[in-house]
Amino acid sequence: MEAPVEDDRLLHQRVVGGEETALGEIYDRFAPLVFGLAVRITRDRVVSEDITQEVFITFWERPLAFDPGRGSLRGWLATIAHRRAVDHVRTQERRKASVIGPRLLEPEPERLEDAVLSRYEADGVRTAVGKLPDDLREVIELAYYRGRTYRQVADDLGLPEGTAKSRIRMGLRRLADALAEEGA
Amino acid sequence: MNDDPTRRLYLDALMEGTEPPETSLRPLVLTAARARRRPAAATSGWTAPFAGRIAAMDAVLGEATDQDWGRQVVEGWTLQELLAHLAAKDGLVSLSVDAPVLGPPVTVNEGLARTAELQEYERRRAPDQTRRDWRTQADALCRHLASVAPDTPSETGGFTMPVVDHLLARGLETWIHTADAAGVLGVSLPHPVPGHVEVTADLCARLMPLAMRLSGHRVPEGRAVRLALTGPGGGLWHVPLHLGGRAVRGDGPAEATVTCDVVEFCFLVGGRGDPGGFAAGVEGDAGLARELLHAAPALSGP
Repeated sequence: MEAPVEDDRLLHQRVVGGEETALGEIYDRFAPLVFGLAVRITRDRVVSEDITQEVFITFWERPLAFDPGRGSLRGWLATIAHRRAVDHVRTQERRKASVIGPRLLEPEPERLEDAVLSRYEADGVRTAVGKLPDDLREVIELAYYRGRTYRQVADDLGLPEGTAKSRIRMGLRRLADALAEEGA
Repeated sequence: MNDDPTRRLYLDALMEGTEPPETSLRPLVLTAARARRRPAAATSGWTAPFAGRIAAMDAVLGEATDQDWGRQVVEGWTLQELLAHLAAKDGLVSLSVDAPVLGPPVTVNEGLARTAELQEYERRRAPDQTRRDWRTQADALCRHLASVAPDTPSETGGFTMPVVDHLLARGLETWIHTADAAGVLGVSLPHPVPGHVEVTADLCARLMPLAMRLSGHRVPEGRAVRLALTGPGGGLWHVPLHLGGRAVRGDGPAEATVTCDVVEFCFLVGGRGDPGGFAAGVEGDAGLARELLHAAPALSGP
């Protein structure tokens, strides 16, 4: 789940103030996301570890490139990871002198925030949601596409809140698996 | 596009991914990060607010291009000359506690004279050497102070205070000049963490009786202001305004209440902002409140 903006602000203040432990906390929170994103694009764990390392080191070295007033820390790190991964794949593709596939034809994003998910990939996410088992798809659709809170999802379905929460998590995990397999 | 549900879902799903990177990657990341940008010299204890501002300035300097170093930032000084100024004043605090003082020997123990001396020296050097000297001076001071009691008296630039207060003042000046530099470079500078803002505001509140005196007000004992500072790191201060009065956190009998943003108050005390147009809510004795706001910058210099 997305951390509240205030959380991002404080972490950012700590990193700008040179607090190494804040970088450790950010790493622990977002390394799976950054790594997962890189693996999804590059299909290469070794390269993805390099990208993960570079994303966090870059954030530490140039923390002022991020502005919490303009977007979430999570979105920022995902954007850098996405870019590096795409750059890597492009370089590889060029090396192989092969035709660049449709997933790499996305235009250069003007706004960083838009860069993480191309239309092609967004379609992939929606398709993966459509393939979820009914009970999981239902909670995901309510929570994400109807803007319902956990509490409201639980009420809508007559479930205890804890059950609704764990179903959403299960749905997210299934989606993560589906996205990891997709196109592999 | 943070609000796009598919994007949010995509990132949430990736965060639930079950194949994280190898655990051996974490220490590699932290070690490599440290080598790319030096962490603060202290992140706990009474030197941490100063060390944090040094690290933040260094982060801003990391955004400067070669051309930026020659641009005027403030007081007609270039970024390089500004750094020499900060290093000069940090060096005078070092001198007061027998910590290492970098650069040419100090001939006059006074801020502006030492500034001129160090600027003269640094102008002959490359900007990144000046940056390194400034950082080394600040870190050496922090390291030395790790074994010094915070209430140790320090006479710096002819002004005696506990060394902790001199260091907080150095932190405030570094913060303000970092904001100056960030403005010129077009970088958005986040505030210090609330705990560091709070101790800086506390110093500012405690300096008010002296600021009133320096501004020519002979305030009789018993006259006090309630300072309600808003925002992270803010709070309530009871500020007696007679010379020797000691401001404390909390409430007490006061003739006026001044409510304003905690960071703006610190910057006002540091000489930024116009006391006449300062955004503050005033209740009670408006004349006394106005005197305080006008006196607030009295201790600030370049």
